[in-house]
Amino acid sequence: MTGINLVPIHAYLVVSVLLFAIGLVGVFSRRNAIAVLLGIELMLNAANINFVAFWRYGGGVQMEGQVFAVAVITVAAAEAAIALAIVLNVFRRFKTINIDQINLMKG
Amino acid sequence: MTATLGQYLHSGAFWYLFAFVCFAAGVLIPGLLVVLSRNLLHAALWLLPCLASVAGLFLLLGAEMLAAIQILVYCGGIVVLILFAIMLTQGLGHADVRVTNQQLFWGSVGAAALAGVMLHLLSLQMWPLGTPTIPGDVTGRLADALLSPYLLAFEVASVVLLVAMIGAIVIARAEPE
Amino acid sequence: MVLGGFELFLIPGLPFVAFVLIAAFLLKRGEKAAPFVLIAALTGSLVITIQALASIAGGKPISVSLPWLQVGGLSLDLGVLLDHLSGLMMITVCTVSLLVQVYSIGYMKGEIGYGRYFAYMSLFSGSMLGLVIADNIVQTYIFWELVGICSYLLIGFWYRRPSAAAAAKKAFVVTRFGDLGFLTAILILSFQKPAVFGFDQLSHSIRLMGPGVVTAVALLIFSGAVGKSAQFPLHIWLPDAMEGPTPVSALIHAATMVAAGVYLVARAYFIFAAAPAALLVVAIIGTATLFFAATMGVAENDIKRVLAYSTISQLGYMMMALGVGGYTAGVFHLTTHAFFKALLFLTAGSVIHSVHSNDMWQMGGLGKRMPITAFTCLIGALALAGIFPLSGFWSKDEILTAAWYSHLPGHQIIFVVALAGVVMTAFYMFRLWFLTFCGEPRSEQAEHAHESPWVMAVPLLILATLAVIAGGLKLHIPWTTGGIGEMIRFGDEKETVSVFIIGLSLVVSLLGIGVAWAAYRANLISPAAFNARFPGLHRLLKNAWYFNRAWELFATRVVLAGARMAAWFDRHVVNGMVDGVAWLAGWAGRRLRVAQTGQMQFYALVFIFALVAGLVVVFGRGQSLLSLVMRP
Repeated sequence: MTGINLVPIHAYLVVSVLLFAIGLVGVFSRRNAIAVLLGIELMLNAANINFVAFWRYGGGVQMEGQVFAVAVITVAAAEAAIALAIVLNVFRRFKTINIDQINLMKG
Repeated sequence: MTATLGQYLHSGAFWYLFAFVCFAAGVLIPGLLVVLSRNLLHAALWLLPCLASVAGLFLLLGAEMLAAIQILVYCGGIVVLILFAIMLTQGLGHADVRVTNQQLFWGSVGAAALAGVMLHLLSLQMWPLGTPTIPGDVTGRLADALLSPYLLAFEVASVVLLVAMIGAIVIARAEPE
Repeated sequence: MVLGGFELFLIPGLPFVAFVLIAAFLLKRGEKAAPFVLIAALTGSLVITIQALASIAGGKPISVSLPWLQVGGLSLDLGVLLDHLSGLMMITVCTVSLLVQVYSIGYMKGEIGYGRYFAYMSLFSGSMLGLVIADNIVQTYIFWELVGICSYLLIGFWYRRPSAAAAAKKAFVVTRFGDLGFLTAILILSFQKPAVFGFDQLSHSIRLMGPGVVTAVALLIFSGAVGKSAQFPLHIWLPDAMEGPTPVSALIHAATMVAAGVYLVARAYFIFAAAPAALLVVAIIGTATLFFAATMGVAENDIKRVLAYSTISQLGYMMMALGVGGYTAGVFHLTTHAFFKALLFLTAGSVIHSVHSNDMWQMGGLGKRMPITAFTCLIGALALAGIFPLSGFWSKDEILTAAWYSHLPGHQIIFVVALAGVVMTAFYMFRLWFLTFCGEPRSEQAEHAHESPWVMAVPLLILATLAVIAGGLKLHIPWTTGGIGEMIRFGDEKETVSVFIIGLSLVVSLLGIGVAWAAYRANLISPAAFNARFPGLHRLLKNAWYFNRAWELFATRVVLAGARMAAWFDRHVVNGMVDGVAWLAGWAGRRLRVAQTGQMQFYALVFIFALVAGLVVVFGRGQSLLSLVMRP
């Protein structure tokens, strides 16, 4: 694909880092458990961008980059399923999924 | 500068750059909205253009198969799953309840610090330049890689999915009365 | 020698066997047989001693030992040493003990604990003989403590009586004070190189030790003797020890155990000879003891307590003799005193047995009613007062002679004080005799008093005979080849005889007797008027110079104050440190607990901050990532 030389790999890496940071903010500061999950999905995608960028700019011949990205997507799917099942369970128990209130610790 | 603006506009270089900028913006701005929306449903919905833009970036990088997988699994599967979960837990959020906790400031600081450090480190590095074209049949090569030598990873991934399915069913099952 | 010297182990061994037999089988049902077991054992010991003594016949002593403990560089043995000193002492102990046991058959008849009494008596006899025959100082100490235990058990024999229990405790605690010094001496000896404990080896190694060490050891050994032999200022336990049965007083607190202190000093005399300062201390304490005790005996109304103070005083004479260099004189008096003091106690016992009271003012006129007792008591009194030709005369004169011709500084003062003591001794002894046996009975029981049975009277007669003839030891010790001057001596003492001193001592003795006769028999002087004229003196003597009060104050003020300080230190400083550590842990924990919020997002935030910090630290110098990860 032409034009690829115009975009140095740094561009993709910067996008990846920024998306990761945005995901982090979501994880740190949201009260709703599902919202935290959304942040985690963002972080996973940032990692994927990283992998594929290196695959392309490393020659495109060796497929490790893409294989890893496929694995990440697979695991993300499985993890999302389980996490949401747990959230459902927690919601039934505590009647809320506000993380601040799901706290059995005292003091 | 022998090329004119028109020529430039019609060359692939410009369009590539333009597509990259669009997709990058499509990743970062909806991403920001995902984490900052007050309405949880909106937040989940903003995930859609974000993930779709990621798929677009994959396309730009020449990983067509991966882009397709991304759309199918992420946008079509995971986001829907999240929407279901939101509906089932009535987590739409009340207008008067804060959606962020007290860590917003320091969380932002931490994330910004990490981003800053990593960007700095990246800038110091001489990365490979990349080739304009890559050998064709990317998908074929991906398939070959998945079926050997990364066959084990492939099989384990399928087991993981199976376990996740069963686990999700068990965990989310309603308690017997 | 039948068994090559090992039969000497039987001398203390037989009474121990008797103890085991009595304690195991004869405490309740067979108790009538108990005294005879002990008498048989003592007879056996006596025979073995005599035979061993005869076999030495003036030559070298027999010494046998068995290895016992080897710890590090120290080795302790169990051994026996029979020389003339120990042989004479053992004959004395066996004889007196035998006679006392026979007497006890009558005295303790019908008492509860009859079997227990003889069990303790056998334990004591075995321990005393073991002490005498020991050939090393550690073994001496072991039996020293054993004798102390037996004394405690026997003083408190009637344990249900609170005064008896208190007296037993007092005896034990006070002698413990002295024993601590004795033990310290042994510890000091154990630090010497080489560490030897046998008396024979010590007499050689003593020359290798510095003078300070030798003096310290001598003084510490003497402190043990001060406790056991009731020297001033640890004499306070002996008068109270009269709470025990009278035969116990006769055997333990007159003839044998209290003599152990004197015996120890004689045994370890080579240490004292090398430390003249220690000898001076011994002489001074001995002199002080003989004087103070005699003054206290003058004012007592309890017949046993008079004899107790007399014992303390006479022990003071023995110590004084050893201190001024009269080794032979001290040992001689030890032997004669054993006989006549035991005799006096046993006669007192007969009297108490008849009259059922210790108070001399309840007695009187017993001479007519108890002639044998009165007569034997008179013999004892004359011996104690030192009247020719009884045994006490010879031994007391030797002491006075030794004091006069001694090289010790101040020996003249010692001589004068001793002479004053002689007057008082004669006085209080005959005061006792006149009050008890003469005049008219002063109470109902005295009126109806009767003579003791033969089992009690015969030992009195035997002891009286011994009290008369024991002076003959000066000429010839039986089963040996010479008199006491040749057989038992230290170094080159020369025997001096001074007719002047002999005459002087006789005169003062008669003076003392005369004053007693005038006051208590002929009513020429009135004691009551005397007391009225010198009320302060009377009170002082009656309260035994307030020694008990002084010790009591020391214990409550000084010792308790020290204890309170130590307790405060323990509670606040030591406990405080421990508590402080615990408090510190709690405080730190409370401070650190804040980090454990339990909130996952907080932990994640901390994680990211740590990661950033780590990255800065590792990559802070600007190298590239790859160069660090991939080494060429």
